[in-house]
Amino acid sequence: MASVSHFTDTEVHAHDDHEHPVPTGWRRYLLSTNHKDIGTLYLIFAISAGILGTALSVAIRAELMFPGIQVFPSIAHVLMGNGSLDAGKHMYNVFFTSHALIMIFFMVMPAMMGGFGNWFVPLMIGAPDMAFPRMNNLSFWLLPASFTMVMISLFVEGEPGMHGFGGGWVLYPPFASLAGSPGPSVDFVILSMHLAGMSSILGSINFIATILNMRAPGMTMFRMPLFVWSVLVTAFLLLLALPVLAGALTMLLTDRNFGTTFFNPAGGGDPILYQHVFWFFGHPEVYILIIPGFGIVSQVVSTFAKKPVFGYAGMVYAMLAIALLGFVVWAHHMFTTGMSLNAQRYYVLATMVIAVPTGVKVFSWIATMWGGSLQLRPPMLWAIGFIFVFTVGGVTGVVLANAAIDRYVHDTYYVVAHFHYTMSLGAVFSIFAGFYYWFPKMSGYLYNEAMAKLHFWLTFVGINLTFFPQHFLGFAGMPRRIVDYTDAYFAWNFVSSIGAYISGAGALLFLYLIYEAFKAKRHAPNNPWGPGATTLEWTLSSPPPFHQFLTPPHIEEEEVGHTIAAGRA
Amino acid sequence: MSASQEATSSRNLRLALAGGATALSMIGLTFAAAPFYTAFCRATGYEGTPQIVKADASSKGSRTLRVAFDANVAPGLAWRLEPETDAVRVRTGKTTTVYFRAQNLSDKETAANATYNVTPEVSGAWFDKVQCFCFSEQHLGPHETAEWPVVFFLDPKLETDPSMARVDSITLSYTLFAAPEPRASAGASKRAGLAGG
Repeated sequence: MASVSHFTDTEVHAHDDHEHPVPTGWRRYLLSTNHKDIGTLYLIFAISAGILGTALSVAIRAELMFPGIQVFPSIAHVLMGNGSLDAGKHMYNVFFTSHALIMIFFMVMPAMMGGFGNWFVPLMIGAPDMAFPRMNNLSFWLLPASFTMVMISLFVEGEPGMHGFGGGWVLYPPFASLAGSPGPSVDFVILSMHLAGMSSILGSINFIATILNMRAPGMTMFRMPLFVWSVLVTAFLLLLALPVLAGALTMLLTDRNFGTTFFNPAGGGDPILYQHVFWFFGHPEVYILIIPGFGIVSQVVSTFAKKPVFGYAGMVYAMLAIALLGFVVWAHHMFTTGMSLNAQRYYVLATMVIAVPTGVKVFSWIATMWGGSLQLRPPMLWAIGFIFVFTVGGVTGVVLANAAIDRYVHDTYYVVAHFHYTMSLGAVFSIFAGFYYWFPKMSGYLYNEAMAKLHFWLTFVGINLTFFPQHFLGFAGMPRRIVDYTDAYFAWNFVSSIGAYISGAGALLFLYLIYEAFKAKRHAPNNPWGPGATTLEWTLSSPPPFHQFLTPPHIEEEEVGHTIAAGRA
Repeated sequence: MSASQEATSSRNLRLALAGGATALSMIGLTFAAAPFYTAFCRATGYEGTPQIVKADASSKGSRTLRVAFDANVAPGLAWRLEPETDAVRVRTGKTTTVYFRAQNLSDKETAANATYNVTPEVSGAWFDKVQCFCFSEQHLGPHETAEWPVVFFLDPKLETDPSMARVDSITLSYTLFAAPEPRASAGASKRAGLAGG
């Protein structure tokens, strides 16, 4: 078992070795090079962006609660001083576009990689910090700059006479070209994505160097906790995929401003090329959003089943397989752009193959729980919730992989339901699982578990009520990205909106829970979860010392995937 | 800094440089995708790109398909373009000529380029053009009219392509765009032309 006294020893050492004092006040965060402080900044940023993104989605559901256009003309009146019906429609488009951009680039990615990755990768592998602490600081502070750009884009002209860009997060030309949106709003969105991309690329280089090179003695690759593996796989995905987005957006930017014609048929370009390049980035991107969640759920399930993860090596290879396959299936987003039958056959098959490693993961989580001594503490509830909703999203993904069915439900609410089951429910549930799992470690305080469970049930019920009926709406033919619908779709839209309000209430409860935990100051022990929590972070104090592992811990042979720290090297 | 720490940081630096180089080469590959895509479309007929051929079909086929014509002029070019007929019925392998009438509606000589493709997109591989006004830049004087021939045939091999089994009608579409003006004012006019409608 882990020798806790040894770590107390290391800790004392840490303070001895370190001459300069812990910085205080704003300098501690603005100039921070400490992986835990930067992780905290990322989490605060992600929670703030998540609240904004949720507010946007609640506005969308409020509009769709009834047929007709009721809500958005007033919002447009407030935001751009034009309360006309057209302005309302445009503002609806701006809202779903911003909702997607904010949730993807400013909520899920910062929370998983920047937040939990920064906090726990060095702790789990026994490293004193990230490989490049100053670059880490740059990675974080590029994000608020990027976010500012996206906010500016909402208040400058996009389409003629309208503020903000409403062409969807994919930024397809020709709507995102000068032909559709001559105003500078799109340029701000593009530059914002450039900064966010740079932030993620720098961050991923940092993670790769840290994980490959800074592991404590004895922490071999195949003894690393699965969360660390998931961050490593995601970092490679980011490194290979985000530059492609940057390239595509740069081409769009030069098309708009410098007369190039990459996507402009007038000069021999083709808008479909943009879709290919975008989805070459875009499909790996959805795995970037979910793979760290796989890692978190593996840690949580193993902790609360008090068993090592079933099939550790299989879990690692499954993540690698999902990551590799993610690069060769992009055109399944484009089945309706006129591909030959053979091309469609390939993309259908390749896409369905992804269900195999994904199935390996789901079965391994279930097998980990099987026969385990289960404890339904809040992180475990979220993790089981994740397995359920992610499996639902995975099943509809296999349905959508069929080109013939996709032709029918392309750009309908069926697709919306599918990717929200994997992202809005899957990724978000894993983030909450991680948050409730590590909050005592990060803050040093215990939260109110009853409240956390209520948060789970509110969100679980609310979000299933929101998105499950959207499958029916999609099969009935309701198109996505449209502000109004025919009366026939009313009933399930009404149910869906009620669900959104319930999960919105859940988000408010979450904020109160954090406030209550910091106010009540119930001090957390080093390991609040008992013998199932075997990774290195639980051997440190809660919160951990400002610097840790200056003398690296030595990791000895134990069950695979279940590394336990033991005596000094 | 101890020796082992120094070794660690130099290994870190090597990893960072490799990572940076990977990111930069991915950006490079993304830009390389643009010419590659054009070449790919030309070679395979992807996205409804007709094939350009020198000679007529060597054999005659048995299927007869409808070929419809569509002609457009992009905003910013004061020309008119129309086909002499809306559609013709063509047997595979038979070379067909259709004329397009063009007229310059403005008071000055202007130049234009035509972009073209066929739909359904899968028919691009089997739509062979022998001669077309779209292969080169066209000039028309003030109010001048012209009749341009398009010579094409449908490759009889389309009969063996399962993607074409249910395709009975192919549309050949043209859009005329103003040719780029001399370098100095190119950017400005493009912006006005496309955005202003």
